[in-house]
Amino acid sequence: MLKPGTAIAMSKVGKRYTKYDDTPMLLTSALHFRPRTRRGRLWALRGVDLEVYEGESFGVIGRNGSGKSTALGLMAGITAPTEGSVAVRGRVAPLIQVGVGFHKELTGRENIYVNGTILGLSRREIDRKLDDIIAFAEIDDFLDTPVKFYSSGMYVRLGFAVAIHVEPDILLIDEVLAVGDYAFQMKCHERMGLVRQSGTTVVVVSHNLGVIRKMCERVLLLDKGSPKFLGAPADAIAKFHETMEQSEEPDVDMTTGKPLERGVLAIQSLEVIGPDGQGTGHLEAGSDARITVVARVLKPMDDLVVGIAIFSQNGTCVYTDSSLGKPLGPVLAGELFRCTVALKATLPTGSYTVVSSIWRPDMKARLAESRHVTFFVNGRSTVGGVSDLGGSFSLDPCSEPSGPADPEAL
Amino acid sequence: MGEVSSTAPTGSFEGRSYLELTGESTSPARLARSVWASRGLLAILARKEFQVRYRRASFGLLWAVGLPLVQALVMALVFSKVAHIHGAPHYVVFVLSGLVGWTFFSTAISSGSTAVVDNSELSSRIYFPRALLALVSVASNLYGFVVTLVIVIVLCPILNVGLGASIWLVIPASLLMVGLATTFSLVASALQVYFRDIRYIVSAAVIVWFYVTPIIYPSSAVPGKLRLAVQLNPVTEVVALFHAATVGGSITGLPLVSSLVWLAVLAVLAVYLQCRYDRVFADLL
Ligand SMILES: Nc1ncnc2c1ncn2[C@@H]1O[C@H](COP(=O)(O)OP(=O)(O)OP(=O)(O)O)[C@@H](O)[C@H]1O
Ligand SMILES: [Mg+2]
Repeated sequence: MLKPGTAIAMSKVGKRYTKYDDTPMLLTSALHFRPRTRRGRLWALRGVDLEVYEGESFGVIGRNGSGKSTALGLMAGITAPTEGSVAVRGRVAPLIQVGVGFHKELTGRENIYVNGTILGLSRREIDRKLDDIIAFAEIDDFLDTPVKFYSSGMYVRLGFAVAIHVEPDILLIDEVLAVGDYAFQMKCHERMGLVRQSGTTVVVVSHNLGVIRKMCERVLLLDKGSPKFLGAPADAIAKFHETMEQSEEPDVDMTTGKPLERGVLAIQSLEVIGPDGQGTGHLEAGSDARITVVARVLKPMDDLVVGIAIFSQNGTCVYTDSSLGKPLGPVLAGELFRCTVALKATLPTGSYTVVSSIWRPDMKARLAESRHVTFFVNGRSTVGGVSDLGGSFSLDPCSEPSGPADPEAL
Repeated sequence: MGEVSSTAPTGSFEGRSYLELTGESTSPARLARSVWASRGLLAILARKEFQVRYRRASFGLLWAVGLPLVQALVMALVFSKVAHIHGAPHYVVFVLSGLVGWTFFSTAISSGSTAVVDNSELSSRIYFPRALLALVSVASNLYGFVVTLVIVIVLCPILNVGLGASIWLVIPASLLMVGLATTFSLVASALQVYFRDIRYIVSAAVIVWFYVTPIIYPSSAVPGKLRLAVQLNPVTEVVALFHAATVGGSITGLPLVSSLVWLAVLAVLAVYLQCRYDRVFADLL
């Protein structure tokens, strides 16, 4: 039974899926034409204990296949746990895997009724909300078209509009906001703010850590189906980056057109160092950071060039730089060397990826490329865009401009 | 403890709906409550499914009703005038009344058996009792059936068949048939999730089934050796009731018992399968 003030409770929850390698058929398995359908079992989620409080915004993060959607499916009652128990109090509106449940053949309008009914609204209540839903989704022209003819963006718009307007007690959002266009995303985020203020419990799954960081009060980090961390967003995100670094394979060849000359150099590590001199996955806005690259020399060289590139979450390159024109000097075979880049983290909130590559001094051939390292910047709350130029705003009274007045005004 | 459906009024706790999942299966009482609580959804979906099926056809209902009638008339003509089968008096009405029931039964089980799989778009993203989907399938076929039945009854006097009190037999006939179609669909739609060839098996079975059911021939025409097979067929009695209601005929003992036993067995299976897998169908959709 749920404690008062708790919206969702999971205790010792495990979910095991059976993976079929081919579609099971009755005739083949009954007649033993072939050995029985090959299948494997996997725990998509195991040992999850958590409570989501009423009115809270709760985030779930983790790598692909870590069990996030499975956890949401359990909260929505779409699937049942193999072990443990899930308890949920209140009306749940799930937005799972791009969209709410729509019937492909039915029109947008009909689907609003079907979905509203499943979520427990009466016909009259839906009638009343219909105009708001249509206005929010902005799909007037397609309202009486079967949803199978919708673009994925339109699908998401309508799904989000329905889920928001049924006034659920609990809203489950799995990665859906990313599909809409920019204007719609902004509208959704604005609306989500209102929803949260109204006391709705929100559970969000997202790979956009900036959104998680901004929206959530607590975050659960999943790794291969087991909970790795539960707590403040910043800590969970930092932990997430740690687990990612451990599992990421070194990226050997990236196509830039220029040849990769193997066997000359091997990059051993790339690290982001915070102001305290410790390696970190988390930087405060404007803080002094260093990026260090450690490489082992396999063949002696007279000189080399080290380059770094930083990318934002959506793949935009926000910064590239190199030691070109600043000779680092000759290196000997077998020697280890470290290149340190000191910089200021003048970036808006978000996740960033840094990668380094080492070149021959003439930049004709690349010798090595590091793996990608991700870090999170906790930016200044007012800053958006791709870079924090450190603007400071002031508002002062001022007199009429001196000199001749605007001739038009005369 | 607790209640499954978010729409179930009985499941509220401190005025809020409450859901507790502790294992994969659901108790029959709990499932029954959530199906009952979702009856509004059943009505909407059944109406929509009927509309969707005939939406792009210009005459809508005409197709639902016209096709079985045309089929019945063609069969009656072919078998009586071309193949010279004369087993029953008033052969056209005999075929018509038998086919009305059979057409409903066969279309209902064909669409019913794929109901859960075909609606995966809806059911993989939101929960409602999955049994509803098979029920929707049967219910959406009911509309065309009732209209066709009325037309056949109206046609009887025109085709020189006088109707007596026995016409009321269409009510038990319809109930038995809807019961069989519903339980069969509930079982097949659950199996279809786990064995994707069920739909083909059902289609093949329907073709054979038609000929081992005395629809276009009277059961008296069945030779002795095959008689038992025909009598154990659950649909035999249903069709016999439809025949009895219009052109008259006897209602024999064994087929009725066999129909009822089948109904009971299918019902138990349906309840078991739906309760066991209701909450995990979505894993395979
Ligand atoms: N219906 C299913 N049947 C079998 N295996 C499944 C099913 N759904 C998920 N899985 C497996 O369970 C694991 C967790 O999947 P899940 O969808 O929860 O991951 P996720 O964290 O949402 O990933 P992503 O970030 O890619 O959305 C995966 O290994 C996946 O292959
Ligand atoms: Mg997912």
